[in-house]
Amino acid sequence: MNAIVGSDEPILVTGSTGFLGSRVVATLLDHGFSSVRCFARPSSRLRTLETFLLQYGSRVEIVQGNLLSPADCDKAVRDVAVIYHLAAGMREKSYPDAFMNSVVTTRNLLDASLRDGHLKRFVNISSFAVYTNRDKPRRDVLDESCPVETDPAGRGEAYCYAKVKQDELVTEYGRKYALPYVIVRPGAVYGPGSTGITGRVGSGAFGIFLHLGGSNVIPFTYVDNCADAIALAGLTSGIEGEVINVVDDDLPTSRRFLRLYKRHVRSFRSVPVPRPVSYALCALWERYSEWSEGQLPPVFNRHAWHAYWKGSRYSNAKLKQCLGWTPKVATDEGLRRYFESCRQRGCDVA
Amino acid sequence: MSLRVAIIGCGKIADAHAAQICRIAGSALVAVCDREELMARQLADRFGAERYFVDLDDLLRGAMPDVVHITTPPQSHLDIARRCLEHGCHVYVEKPITINAREAQSLIEAAEDAGRRLTVGHDGQFSPAARRLRELVGGGYLGESIVHMESYYGYDLSGDAYASAFLGDSNHWVRRLPGGLLQNVISHGIARIAEFLHGADPYVFARAFTSPTLSDRGVKDVLDELRVMIVDEANTTAYFTFSSRMRPVVNQFRVFGSRNALVLDETQQTLVKLRGTAFKSYVERFVPPIIFAREYIANAGRNARLFMRNQFHMEAGKKNLTEAFYRSIVEKTAVPIPYSQILLTARVMDAIFEQVGRVVPC
Repeated sequence: MNAIVGSDEPILVTGSTGFLGSRVVATLLDHGFSSVRCFARPSSRLRTLETFLLQYGSRVEIVQGNLLSPADCDKAVRDVAVIYHLAAGMREKSYPDAFMNSVVTTRNLLDASLRDGHLKRFVNISSFAVYTNRDKPRRDVLDESCPVETDPAGRGEAYCYAKVKQDELVTEYGRKYALPYVIVRPGAVYGPGSTGITGRVGSGAFGIFLHLGGSNVIPFTYVDNCADAIALAGLTSGIEGEVINVVDDDLPTSRRFLRLYKRHVRSFRSVPVPRPVSYALCALWERYSEWSEGQLPPVFNRHAWHAYWKGSRYSNAKLKQCLGWTPKVATDEGLRRYFESCRQRGCDVA
Repeated sequence: MSLRVAIIGCGKIADAHAAQICRIAGSALVAVCDREELMARQLADRFGAERYFVDLDDLLRGAMPDVVHITTPPQSHLDIARRCLEHGCHVYVEKPITINAREAQSLIEAAEDAGRRLTVGHDGQFSPAARRLRELVGGGYLGESIVHMESYYGYDLSGDAYASAFLGDSNHWVRRLPGGLLQNVISHGIARIAEFLHGADPYVFARAFTSPTLSDRGVKDVLDELRVMIVDEANTTAYFTFSSRMRPVVNQFRVFGSRNALVLDETQQTLVKLRGTAFKSYVERFVPPIIFAREYIANAGRNARLFMRNQFHMEAGKKNLTEAFYRSIVEKTAVPIPYSQILLTARVMDAIFEQVGRVVPC
């Protein structure tokens, strides 16, 4: 690989204790990088990182702190050539909390890296959640040219709002300060250790599992394949300012995934909801939420329906072309490993 | 009613304020302010505030609000509220009003000196069920006097993002409060009791400890279990319980009078009457359960009607309190929470923190 950094240059990974972040660290170490700095909150469980420490010794450095603290950010980015920014307010339901833990933290990190002056690449981990396919016909291809949600608050999802704003901020820094960045947007990341079933398949929120995905293709990416793509995005030359989606090959439909899950993990009752019915329910919920001034929060709405349940096809052509990426774990094998892990851990579907 | 409203502090609780302000006819959220510009901008963006600021004085001069809601950490309440009052604004301060009773007294005096109104976010007392309780008590349902109260306040620390944030950060503002976590969460439960106490200086006995749940997570300096006994000058007694371990997580208030009693469940929004007389012999074992069943069915029906009328939002108490506060400003009537109650709540909390090993700064 023609990397933009030498194997001894310091690399920072934020969110390094997370499901995906820890795999990115492992991938970088496998690539032979000798100075991987892992940033973690003081409250994070360091078990995985400590395993790396035992295995790789001084090639791994753990720095604990809070990205809301500019001083901690300065400490984290010192002399760093590549930043993989995976830390985010993923499970926050409140908009301010999600925003603070995604956007304010990103701004602090960007400012610190500009002050430090050694940065060659900022890899911003975004999400498929930012896209809108509202104006695209069903089964059209959702790729990097697809528009980003213009009314992210209208999605009723704090994570989507925060991620849209985070991407805007990174782009703005690229424009204003010539920050060398790449935005990576993974689909639904899965693998041993991930919990539950993605909402693109359905929801168990009402006590019974509503299967909303039907024949839609689910944009899965196996965690190790995704980590590979992210690692490459920080190292490959000539892709500054690019947005790259990450999905695997041979994606399953929602129906097939659910059938396999029930067969290999555990059986449970699910109610298939036809697409027109799910659309009507989302529209009704949205109207009621507006009319009642939020007596029911607008968690189901037409924006969300288009994004998650209308159905699109997905492309990883740009990923393969720009990064030379190929999935190391085939989808069938990835699903087998995931189901086995779910079975062992007794995962819930909600 | 036509009021220009501003919010200072654009964190999580500010969202709840902004949402309710926008629902009140005649009030308009004109500006928001936060030292972190990005936070101010996101709140203004989502709630359509005309302007956002990063400096308090700029906000007061530039937006000229009639009312300011202060939703910053409690350590800053007194200073910010004073500056708003000096600038001629009415002030709604999120709970706890200040970090101790001395500051609360000072703030109330500042409001009175400025001729402006002040309230604190004890919105639990304004939920639909809590308002019914107040009406029944006012109507004499409990009898000639209140004998005893029990206030339970549960808080689940296991899956809450906010709890994870402050438990994982020893420098979090909640941990730097004189009363720590307790100071940030017990106001609602204490204020319920304070509403019905007599005098300004009740006897308070308190014990607190760290639950095994937190100890096992390595958090040793956060008190998350609290038991309190209160006796006022008329010998009205009260127990207060705060727990992060008790299941179910309850938010309940029981008030026993000399004739009858009432049980308010804030989470379920139910209010159940406990009659003070008993049936004879075995009848007492068969009829009261039927009466209770009828009471609960009536509560469910009432809640359904409120929902259908669009008056049953999760933050209904906040809207009711805010609306009552705005009305008191426009109509120049009494504030919804008397200052004596605000002070008494603060004094009881001070007494608790003094006894449980937290030093109240003076």
